[in-house]
Amino acid sequence: MGLFSSKTKAGQNLPRKENRAGAETSLIGARISVQGKITGSGSLIVMGKIEGEIDLAGELVVSPPASLRGEIRAQAIAVAGAIEGQISVREKIHLEKTAAVSGEIHAGRISIADGAQLNGSVVMNRESGRKES
Amino acid sequence: MAGETNATVTSILGRSLAIEGEVNGEESLHVDGRLKGSLRLNGDLVVGPSGTVEAEIEVRDIFILGTVTGKVTARRRFEVQPSGRFQGEAAAGAYEIHPGAIFEGISRMLSSKKPTEKDASSPPKPSNRP
Repeated sequence: MGLFSSKTKAGQNLPRKENRAGAETSLIGARISVQGKITGSGSLIVMGKIEGEIDLAGELVVSPPASLRGEIRAQAIAVAGAIEGQISVREKIHLEKTAAVSGEIHAGRISIADGAQLNGSVVMNRESGRKES
Repeated sequence: MAGETNATVTSILGRSLAIEGEVNGEESLHVDGRLKGSLRLNGDLVVGPSGTVEAEIEVRDIFILGTVTGKVTARRRFEVQPSGRFQGEAAAGAYEIHPGAIFEGISRMLSSKKPTEKDASSPPKPSNRP
């Protein structure tokens, strides 16, 4: 867009958290609620309330007091808040001790900390999960 | 720049993130990605140079460096930076449109009558409950 060309140059000099395109981190704060669909290729930290669908190519971090409800797809998920719904993780999901998850988890790998609450089912995708790096 | 208000946290929608739906909140939001639907904030909205917002918006201050389309109510201030582009219907307490900015549409001033007239803080009214 030619319209922005003069600004773009200046903007590039600004410090960015990460400079790989599409690799930045988004944050939905504790006092934000979203109803609808969130898609993207970066990472996302959620502390607020989301109802709907999340589809991320990056990592999702659900930290308290977050509460998510709906269908969630991500590369990896770290949960310390509450999730209700269908979760599908291409790589791994980790439930911290403060996590409260109910629903169905599809994951390559899973780890659950002592104290975490999990009500529902877990399905492991063998091929994607077992690769050690 | 913006958002340096008394607001606590600013939520950030990164460049690669898109939200479609309804967003409500009591903090400020910085959008570098895309937002479509409706947005209602007690805080401010900053639409960064790469941000695109197509929504019905109600915020305190709005700072546009990217693209905004829709109906905007800025309770306090509506500002379009030179890189910014607005198309739609705006209502605000004050406007600042910088040279180079694009503003296409309707603008209206929010009358500066007592805020108590609005829904802000309705005094406890004795209502006859059934």
